[in-house]
Amino acid sequence: MRIPILKLHDYLLISVQVELDDQTALRFQEDVLEKIHEEGSRGVVIDLTSVEMIDSFIAKVLGDVVDMSNLMGARVVLTGIQPAVAITLIDMGIVLDEVPTALDLEQGLERLQLELEG
Amino acid sequence: MIPKVRENILQHQDLIIEDWMQQIEKFRTDESLQSISASVYESTSRDFVHKLLLTVEENEVSDEKLNQFVERLIQMGWPLNYITRGLQEFRKVSVKVIFQETDNNEDQFRMIEEIEEWVDEIVNLLVNQYSGSWENTVFLQKMALKELSAPLIPVFENISVMPLVGTIDTERAKLIMENLLDGVIEHRSQVVLIDITGVPVVDTMVAHHIIQASEAVRLVGAQCILVGIRPEIAQTIVNLGIDLGKFPTKSTLKKGVETALRMTKRDIVELES
Repeated sequence: MRIPILKLHDYLLISVQVELDDQTALRFQEDVLEKIHEEGSRGVVIDLTSVEMIDSFIAKVLGDVVDMSNLMGARVVLTGIQPAVAITLIDMGIVLDEVPTALDLEQGLERLQLELEG
Repeated sequence: MIPKVRENILQHQDLIIEDWMQQIEKFRTDESLQSISASVYESTSRDFVHKLLLTVEENEVSDEKLNQFVERLIQMGWPLNYITRGLQEFRKVSVKVIFQETDNNEDQFRMIEEIEEWVDEIVNLLVNQYSGSWENTVFLQKMALKELSAPLIPVFENISVMPLVGTIDTERAKLIMENLLDGVIEHRSQVVLIDITGVPVVDTMVAHHIIQASEAVRLVGAQCILVGIRPEIAQTIVNLGIDLGKFPTKSTLKKGVETALRMTKRDIVELES
């Protein structure tokens, strides 16, 4: 199962619409980095609105994607994390400290613009 | 109850009543009963013993009238103590009557046993009724507390305030977190102000809960500002070595709102008249 990655000008838009398992997550990581390299994107928005469960491994992969993308010069914003997911993550002690977040895609794009300007 | 005991008790009704009234008068000095006037105490007690005798007469423990009587006592706030002691006295007085009636040891023993059982059953029934009403009260208060617990109020577009009043325990912290996150999504808030002016003590646990809540808020894509930090709270927080450096803190809600407006690229300006 592949997660579609859309290109919008300088940005990549990714809406995760399936429950992430370990395999999908790792594949997703590769795809995103590949795409960033291909398109020379400056920013990535990963929308998690329809994700209802994130376990520690998926959280780690997401954190890694953010760090790796940053290394490649693309800022990443996570958007639409559900309350239940946030509570689970906090309970597990995963705070995703350095990752910028936003409420939804719209605010995510604004946030990205802000990050890139600043 | 076996007919013989019943007969005995009913035969000596007046004696029992008089004796019982005398005994119950002793409890009058109890602290919880002192506020009740003498005439009310007397009439209620008389009512009580009559109702008890009525259950004996009808040979039915769960008597409707007794239940109603106890219901009334509960509503008027009479202590449970009064009921249990009243029943204990009732037992003693009845046993005394039985003793006068027969000299046969075996008979006495059987009849006492019978009375014991009878009274115990009534005690159980009435105590249940009392505790039921208490549980009900506790439940209602818990609900009320929950409703008052943690409202999230949208004050400006993208800015919400959650005022916290009273001590925060783990259960409440969970509720606060859920309300906070759901509210953020619902109102599309970018900045949430958590006002702890009304929280009397901030210890490590409370701070931990607040930090967790604000981190969760950050994950769903909004930002937290902690406002209403009184001097003594600031002192405890620093003395306990709690690190609140991850998110902005302000002393008053007013300053918090100003900061929140600035964070969402707005400002309060005075109009030129």
